[in-house]
Amino acid sequence: MDRALFALAAVFVPIFPLSWVFNRTAALLPAGAQALVVLIVPQIGITLLAATFHGAPPPLSLRPWIMGLATASALLYALRALSARELSIWTRLMLCSGLAVVWLAWAAGSPGPVLRLMALGWGLPAAVALFLAGALTRRAGGAYIGLQGGLIAVMPRMTAGLVLAVLALTVTPVFPAFFMLWRGLESVPLAWLPFWLPLIFLWGWAAGRLFQDLLFGDYHGEPMADIGALSVALISVAFLVSLAVSLAGSGGASWY
Amino acid sequence: MVLILSDRLKVRAMVYVASEPIPRFWPMRTFIHHNPLYGLEDRPFTAAVAEGSRLFHARGYLDRGSYQDYRRAGKIDDVLIGRRIDAFLAGRTEGPAGLDLKAWLWQLMTATDRPRMIERGDFASGAGIRAALEGRTQPVPGDDLEGRLRALLEPRYGPTAPVYRQVDALFGTTIGATVDDLVTKSCLDFFDEGQSAWQAPGREAGFFQAWKGLARRNVRFLLRGLHLRQVFSEEDTAEGMVAYILRRLEVPEAAWQDYITHELTRMHGWAGFIRYRMGAKHYYWAQRYPADLVDFLAVRMVLGFALLQEGRRRHGTPASSAGVAGLLRTAPVQAYLRHELYGGTILPAWAHKVDDALARARPSALAGLAAAYVQAKADWENQRTAQALRGLARTVGADAEAGLAGLAPGQIDVLVGLLRDWEEGEGPVWLEAMESHYIGELAARIRPPAEAEPPATRRPFAQALFCIDVRSERMRRHLESLGDYQTFGIAGFFGVPLGYLEYGKGSEAHLCPAVQTPKNLVLEIPAGLEFEEEPLFTALEHVLHELKASVLSPFVAVEAVGLLFSLGLVGRTLAPLGYHRFRSRMRTGKPITRLLLDKLSIEQADSIMRAVQRAMIVRALARELSIPRDQVTDDDVRNLREVALGNEAGPSRLAQRLGMSQAAEHDFLEKLRSVYRIDRAVTSLQMGRLGRIGFSVEEQVRYVTQALLSIGLDRNFSRFVLLIGHMSHSENNPYESALDCGACGGGKGLPNARALAAMANKPEIRRRLRERGIVIPEDTWFVPAIHNTTTDVIELHDLDMLPARHLLYLERLRSGLAAAGRCCAAERMPLLDLPARLAAEPFAAAALAQRQAHDWSQVRPEWGLARNVYAIVGRRVLTEGVDLEARAFLQSYDYRLDPKGRLLENILTGPLVVGEWINLEHYFSVVDTESFGSGSKVYHNVAGRFAVMTGNQSDLRTGLPSQTVVKDGRPYHEPVRLIAMVEAPLEFARRTVARLAKVQALISGGWVRLVVLDPEDDYRMHVLEDGGFHVHPRSGRAAHSAPDNPVLEASPCNR
Repeated sequence: MDRALFALAAVFVPIFPLSWVFNRTAALLPAGAQALVVLIVPQIGITLLAATFHGAPPPLSLRPWIMGLATASALLYALRALSARELSIWTRLMLCSGLAVVWLAWAAGSPGPVLRLMALGWGLPAAVALFLAGALTRRAGGAYIGLQGGLIAVMPRMTAGLVLAVLALTVTPVFPAFFMLWRGLESVPLAWLPFWLPLIFLWGWAAGRLFQDLLFGDYHGEPMADIGALSVALISVAFLVSLAVSLAGSGGASWY
Repeated sequence: MVLILSDRLKVRAMVYVASEPIPRFWPMRTFIHHNPLYGLEDRPFTAAVAEGSRLFHARGYLDRGSYQDYRRAGKIDDVLIGRRIDAFLAGRTEGPAGLDLKAWLWQLMTATDRPRMIERGDFASGAGIRAALEGRTQPVPGDDLEGRLRALLEPRYGPTAPVYRQVDALFGTTIGATVDDLVTKSCLDFFDEGQSAWQAPGREAGFFQAWKGLARRNVRFLLRGLHLRQVFSEEDTAEGMVAYILRRLEVPEAAWQDYITHELTRMHGWAGFIRYRMGAKHYYWAQRYPADLVDFLAVRMVLGFALLQEGRRRHGTPASSAGVAGLLRTAPVQAYLRHELYGGTILPAWAHKVDDALARARPSALAGLAAAYVQAKADWENQRTAQALRGLARTVGADAEAGLAGLAPGQIDVLVGLLRDWEEGEGPVWLEAMESHYIGELAARIRPPAEAEPPATRRPFAQALFCIDVRSERMRRHLESLGDYQTFGIAGFFGVPLGYLEYGKGSEAHLCPAVQTPKNLVLEIPAGLEFEEEPLFTALEHVLHELKASVLSPFVAVEAVGLLFSLGLVGRTLAPLGYHRFRSRMRTGKPITRLLLDKLSIEQADSIMRAVQRAMIVRALARELSIPRDQVTDDDVRNLREVALGNEAGPSRLAQRLGMSQAAEHDFLEKLRSVYRIDRAVTSLQMGRLGRIGFSVEEQVRYVTQALLSIGLDRNFSRFVLLIGHMSHSENNPYESALDCGACGGGKGLPNARALAAMANKPEIRRRLRERGIVIPEDTWFVPAIHNTTTDVIELHDLDMLPARHLLYLERLRSGLAAAGRCCAAERMPLLDLPARLAAEPFAAAALAQRQAHDWSQVRPEWGLARNVYAIVGRRVLTEGVDLEARAFLQSYDYRLDPKGRLLENILTGPLVVGEWINLEHYFSVVDTESFGSGSKVYHNVAGRFAVMTGNQSDLRTGLPSQTVVKDGRPYHEPVRLIAMVEAPLEFARRTVARLAKVQALISGGWVRLVVLDPEDDYRMHVLEDGGFHVHPRSGRAAHSAPDNPVLEASPCNR
C-alpha cells in the first residue's frame, strides 16, 4: 500500500521517472486546465505523501535515496528546460525541477502545511505562466521561443506578467520559491550543496534565455492584442497570494 | 592544396571591389558626418538605397505609419502622391477590370497602418486567395513536393552567401554570431589606441600576422576545438589564406566576389574603420600598426572555417557550400522544415511539432509532416492576403468589396502583384511628397529683394562671418535683430584648409572638409616669454591618471586614493556647473599663443635645421661620449654635422683633437645618423616638412580674396569683421566631435578663423587686395571668434592684438554677442524638453545651457544639426528676418560677383557636398536607427579610444545615436534629402553644375534636391524634378510678397 501511494505521489508531485506521466497528461489539456492542474495536483500528491508510512517521515535508510533522486530530478529538468523552446513545456519542466524540493523537505520530515506552501510557491507562478502561454498561443498560434521575439513591444502587459512568473519560478528573492528553496535546503547535508547551487545557476540561465528569445529584440510577427484587464486582475491576485506565501515562507507566520 | 599567384591577386582585387560600397569610418575624435551610402553615390538615390539595404540589411525609408503621421501634420504633398500613382498605373499594361485602382493605391498608402499589407508568400496563389475570400481552402497539389521545395530553396541558398550563415539558417547554430564576437575581440586587441593597459604584442607585423601569432597560442580557441594551427600551416599570407579557405569551402570561383562582399559588409563598422585607416596616410596608428581589409577578411574566414569544421565534427552539419547544396538536393523536405523552423518563418503552431520531428529524423514522418505543413502554410498565406484585400476594399468603399468578390483567380494575381509592386516602391513616393512640401514652404518663406536695390548707405557696426552650419542661422537671426550687425555664411573652415599642430598636442589635425587634404601646416606657439612649470594640480591629475591606467596599481591605489575620485563623481553628478568652475580655477589656462602662419624661406628652414641638428650633436656628445659642452667649440659641432651628413670627409676635427680611434669615431657617427637622425635623407625629409609650414603671401592673398568674394563682401567693410568658427562642449560624450564643425573635419573652427584673420589684418595682404579692387579700410579689424553651440556663447580671440582705438567699442560688441547668445538659448532650451517658460527667460535659459554642457549624464546636450533640410546659396537679403528654425545651411553668395561661376563651383564642390553628407548621415540614421544609425547611446561603450560599440562588444557603431535624431520614440529629424536652393540665373546655374561631374551626379542622381531661384526671371523658383526644371507655382516676386508669408519679424527675446 505504501509503495502504491508512494508511486502515485511521485506522479502527482512529479519526480523522475514518474514525472513524465504528469507532464504527458498535462500536455493533453488546454492551457486553463493546465494552470489548474499545476496548482491542485501537487496538493493531492502531498496528501498522498502524508498518508505513506502512516503519516510518519520516510525511514532513515530511505531518506538519502529520496534526497538523491530529488536532486537528480531537479538537475535533469533544469537541464531539459535549457533546451526547451515551447513556453508551456518550459514551464512544466521548471515546475518539475522546482517541486523536487518538496521531496527533499518531505524526506527531512517537514510537516504537511510546509509542503503545501512549497508546492504553491512553484505552482502559482507556473499556473500564471501556463495561462499566459495559452493566451499567447491563442493570439500567435504558438508560444515558441525565438520565433517572434520582442513581445515586450506588442504585449507589454503579458510580458510583465510573464517576467514576474518566470522570476518567481526561478527562485528570485521576494517570490515564495526563493524562501521555500532555502527551507528545503536546510534539510540537505552540506555535501549535497554543490549539486544544488549549480541548479540555481541553471534556472537563471533558462530564464535568461527565455527573456532574450521571447520577450526582447525586434518583434517579427503579426499584430496582436495584449491580454485584457480581467487577465491582469487574475494574475495580480495570483501574485498577491504569492506574496502571502512568501511572508509565510520567510518565517513571517508561525507555520511550523 | 596548391594556390597560384593569380588566386592571391584575384582576392586582393576582389576585396578592393567589394569594399567600394562600405563607407569609411573616421575615428570618433574627428567624427565626420558622411553619407553611409557614399560608395554607391554613382547610382541614382533609389537604386543606391535598394542596394545599400540589401548589403547592410537596413531600411532606406521610414515606415508607412511615420509618413502617415507627417501627412496628418500637413507635411506631405498629396498632389505629388496622386501624380505618382497616376504615373505608376500608366506604366501597367494590365489591371483587374472594374476596380478603381487609384483609389485602392491611395487607400493602401494613406489609410492602412501596417508597414506592409501584401507580403510575398511561398505558396499563395490567386486561386487560393479566391478560395480564402469564399471561406474555403484550396488544396496544394501533392505531387512532386520534393521538387517544389528544392526549387523554392535553391535560389535562397546560393553559393554567394557565407556558408556559416546558411548552416545557421538550416541548423539553428550561431556560428555567424560567434565569428562576429571573435573578430570583434581580435579587432579590439589589434586596433587599440591606448585604452588597454596591456597592448597586444607583434602589432607592427600587421593585423593578420599579429593575430595569427596570438591565435596559435589562444587557449580559448583550443578549448573550443578550433584547430587553427592546421589551417595556418597551409598558407602564410592573408590573401593566400582567403583563397585557400574559399577553395576548401568549395565556393565556385564565379561566386567569390559576392561571397567576399557578404563577408565584408556583415560588420561594416569595423570594415569601414579599416578602410579609413588604409587611406589615411597621416594617421599615426595606421603607420605604426598597419592593417587592411584583406587581413580583416582573412581573420573572419579562418574563424568561420574553423567553426564550420568544428560543427561538422561535433554535430555533422555541412562545412562547405557543396555540403549545403547536397543537403538541399538529397533531403529537400528536411531542409525546408529546417529553413522554416530556424529561419523564424514557421507557423508558431507547428514549431514544436516540426522541432520534434527533426530531432527524431525519420524521413517518412518528415515527408508526411512537410506535406501537412505546406498545406497549412498555403492556407495561412492565402487567408492573410485575402484578409488584407478585404480590409483594403472596405476602406476604399463604394463597390470595391463587390468588385473584389467578382474577380477571377487570374485577376486576383494581377491585383496582388500590382499592390505589392506599389508597396515595394512606396518609400520614394513618400519621400518626394515630403520634400515637395518643404520646397513649397521655402517658396513661401523667402523674401526676394525689391526691384531696385538701394545702395548701402550705412556702415554696419560689425560684420560677422558664421559657418554655414544650421545652428548659425539662429545666432545670425538674433544678432541681426538686436542691432546694427550684418552677417554672412561661409564654410566653417573659411576656405582655408590647414593642417594644425596645436600647442601641447603631438599630432596634426586636418581642419578642412574630409574630402580635402591640406597642403599647409600651421603651428601654434606660445607667446609667453617665461618658462612655465607644470602646475601642481595638473601634475596630480597626471599621476592619478597613470594610477588608473596601470594594471597593478589600482589594487593598491583604490583604497589609498579612491576617495579622491569619489569627490569628482559626486561633484559632476550633483553640481556639474559648480564642479566645472572649481576645476577650471585649479587649472592654469592656456597661454597666449600665435600661429606660425608665414612660409619659411629656404634659408630660414635651413637655419632651423642647422640649429636643431647642432643641439642634437651637443646632446649626443654629452650622452654617448661624456664630452661636456665646454670642451667643444661651435666649429667642432659644425664640422661633426658636415661629416655626419657626408658633406665633408672624416676624421672630424674633434676626433683628431681628442685622439679618438677611427672605430670609435665611426661608431659615434653611426649613432648620430641612426639615433639622432643627423642624416642626409632625414634632413631632406625634414626640410620638406618645414616647407609645409605656413602660407606664401600669394596663397594668403588668394585665400582672403576668395573668402570675401565668395560671400559677396567686397565693399562697405565695418570696423569689426568677426570670423566666427564654431565648436561644442559636452561631457562624457564620445560623439562630441559630431557636434563640432563638419567643414573643419569634425574639429573646432577657431584655428582657421585665427589664420584668416591674421592674414586679412596684414598690411601687405591688404595692399595686394586693394590692387584687386577689394579695399579694406584702415580701421577695419578682423577678429577671430568661436561660437560654442552647446552654450550659445561667442568668445572673441586674439584681442591682445586689437588696435587700441577698437577697445572703445569692445564692450558694445561683447554685450551684443552675449545678448544674441541668450536669445538663442531661450529659443533652444524648450526644444530639449526643458520648461517652455525658458523661452521668455533668456538669462535662465543661458544658465541652463551652461549646465547642459557640463552635465556628464546628459545624453542630448544639444540637438546639433538635427532637422536640417535646406541649403540656401544666395544673399542674406532673401532670408533676413525669416525664422528658418535652424534648419538651413546658409551660404552667402552673390552671383553678380562671380561672372565665370568659379566661386559657385567652389561652393557646390565644398560646402554643398559637406551639407549633403551631414544631411544624409541624419537621414539614414533616423530611417534605420540600428543599421545606419548607432542605436541608443545608453548602451554605448568606447572601443579602443577610436569608436563606440553597443555593449562590451559589437560592430563599431558608425551613424548617429538615436538620442540625436529621435524624440519620444518618433523621428525628431525629419528625413528628407537636402533641398539646395541657389540664387542665380537658371542657365548660369545649369552651366556651372554641368562643369562639375561629381556635383552633377549627386544632383541628377537625386542625392540633393536642386532648386534654382532665378533673379533674372522675377525670382521664380525652378525645381529640378523628373529630369527637368519646373517652375514652382507659388514662386515669383508677387507670390513671395503675399501677405500670408510666415515671416517672424521679432525674435523670442523681442516679444
